[in-house]
Amino acid sequence: MIEFKNINKSYKLGKNNTVAALKDININIKEGSVVVLKGSSGSGKSSILSLVSAISKPTSGEVIVDNKQISKLSDRFASEYRLNNIGIVFQKYNLVEDISVEQNVILPLIPKNLDSDLVESKVDTALDMFGIKHYKNSTVKNLSGGEQQRVAIARAYINEPKIIIADEPTANLDEKLSLDFIEIIKDLKKQNKTVIIATHDPLFFNLDIVDKYIEMKNGSII
Amino acid sequence: MNKYINLYLLEYSINSLLRQKYKNIFITTILTFLIFILSSMFFITSSIKNELQFSVESLPEITVQKLISGKHYDIEVDRVNEILSITGVNDATARVWGYYYFVNAGVNFTLVGIEQFEKQYKDSLQNLVDSSKGFDESNAYIGQGVKEIMRKNYFKEYFNFILPDGSLKKINIGGTFKSDTNLESNDVIVLSKENMRSIYGMSEEYATDIVVKVANPDEVATVAAKIKLLYPDTRVITKNDLKVSYQNIFDYKSGVFLALFIVSLFTFFIIVFDKASGLSSSERKEIGVLKAIGWSLDDVLKEKFYEGALISVFAYLLGVFLALGFVYGFGAPLLRDIFSGYSELKTAFELPFVLDVQTMVLVFFLSVPIYIASIIIPSWRVASMDADEVMR
Repeated sequence: MIEFKNINKSYKLGKNNTVAALKDININIKEGSVVVLKGSSGSGKSSILSLVSAISKPTSGEVIVDNKQISKLSDRFASEYRLNNIGIVFQKYNLVEDISVEQNVILPLIPKNLDSDLVESKVDTALDMFGIKHYKNSTVKNLSGGEQQRVAIARAYINEPKIIIADEPTANLDEKLSLDFIEIIKDLKKQNKTVIIATHDPLFFNLDIVDKYIEMKNGSII
Repeated sequence: MNKYINLYLLEYSINSLLRQKYKNIFITTILTFLIFILSSMFFITSSIKNELQFSVESLPEITVQKLISGKHYDIEVDRVNEILSITGVNDATARVWGYYYFVNAGVNFTLVGIEQFEKQYKDSLQNLVDSSKGFDESNAYIGQGVKEIMRKNYFKEYFNFILPDGSLKKINIGGTFKSDTNLESNDVIVLSKENMRSIYGMSEEYATDIVVKVANPDEVATVAAKIKLLYPDTRVITKNDLKVSYQNIFDYKSGVFLALFIVSLFTFFIIVFDKASGLSSSERKEIGVLKAIGWSLDDVLKEKFYEGALISVFAYLLGVFLALGFVYGFGAPLLRDIFSGYSELKTAFELPFVLDVQTMVLVFFLSVPIYIASIIIPSWRVASMDADEVMR
């Protein structure tokens, strides 16, 4: 379902300084599987997530999702692809802190300009699923870290994407909340969602639900 | 689903503005104030231009004044008959008029003398004579501004004019005088020529000047030249000369407004430049996140458009509304004096309401689209980059 073919990715730092983030990467990820990208900071995990979600393009190589090459999509089609196929849980959640939980969760629905009844129903379903319905009207900044993460997951889930990616999802959580997150991943797997997690949290390293571990170092798979 | 307005996007824009409410309130206040200043200036200009236009149109084609060594003297009334004999002259009237300084209020009134059975040289005066109540030669008919000043000084039914010998002449107030323009009639007191002559100590053989009507406008210059030839001791002023003179005064005063206009625009462009020169790191990150969760460049720009439009249209409407109230409700204190004032020597007059759509459109295009562009352009720069790059 997700295929990386000879992917190289480099970033420009200043005029003449280029850093290779990914070197000749080849990956295959099946639909409905849970994949954990392991590795230390700067190993290239986040770059892989960026390429899967088409928020950046490879320097060379091809990223193919559902037999479509997404690495060469124009900005407009890349946005459409993300809107319909990808849900992202950022490391620091990247929520809009001064607005309500509901207003945060509907953000991915806004471009679709859906009927308000449908939006309400989708929001209620997502909030209910992640146990934060009672915070619907609360301002995000008043929630704890774990609650904020659930809001971020609800936001990633609201469009019912096929692929959910999470970048260091437990970096800001204690062990109990991290275990709660793992339970959520189990639920998503049951719904046949493809989940890709970039983490160096040892909690993820021996989980039954994980179908594939990809260990990275200095931009290469080891 | 509303195809035209995305209400959720609009709600997000409002929330986005509220998140930085103090900054946005400050910008809105400055924008409103600048739009208010610009609109007020344009409204005053339109009103006074409109008044001047009417005033000039109602002037006689030719005015003849007697000058000796450049000094203005009263002119002999019997010259009217000789002027009437010039080919092309339709009518000629000896006018008795002048200024009267009212010490108590520190203002000048304009006194105009007429005779009831004479054909009047202005429609407004003819209307006064033809009115149902008629023109009583023993009375005075006063403009609105004069009425206000007299009322404040307890002259409601009569007014005492001081004659050249220091004695008082009591003249009853017969009514109000109105003309097409406020500027023209506001400071005017219409009296009989007889009363006027006694107030100025002028004999019956003399008048202040002579006004001449010419049947064919193309012949005005020729007739003026003939009068000048006939009476070399006169200054012959045509309506066109007066138009130029009025326009010069107006243009000079416009310069002061132009300075205000430039200062306002300069301030506005500083705000616009500041907005257009870049986004804060949190604003950049927010755009990156929105793109990462599936918003397209168009969605981001639409949201920014709503933000800019909400502020600028609100500031525009409020600024124009306040300017309308300031100019036409309160008479534009301070600003109006730049144009209409001979300081306190002139009676106050009300600016006539002129809804100048062109002005409103001009102010709109000078403010709203420019401000919206200043919001959209930096957002477009950021939103057209890879979301990944923006969030880094």
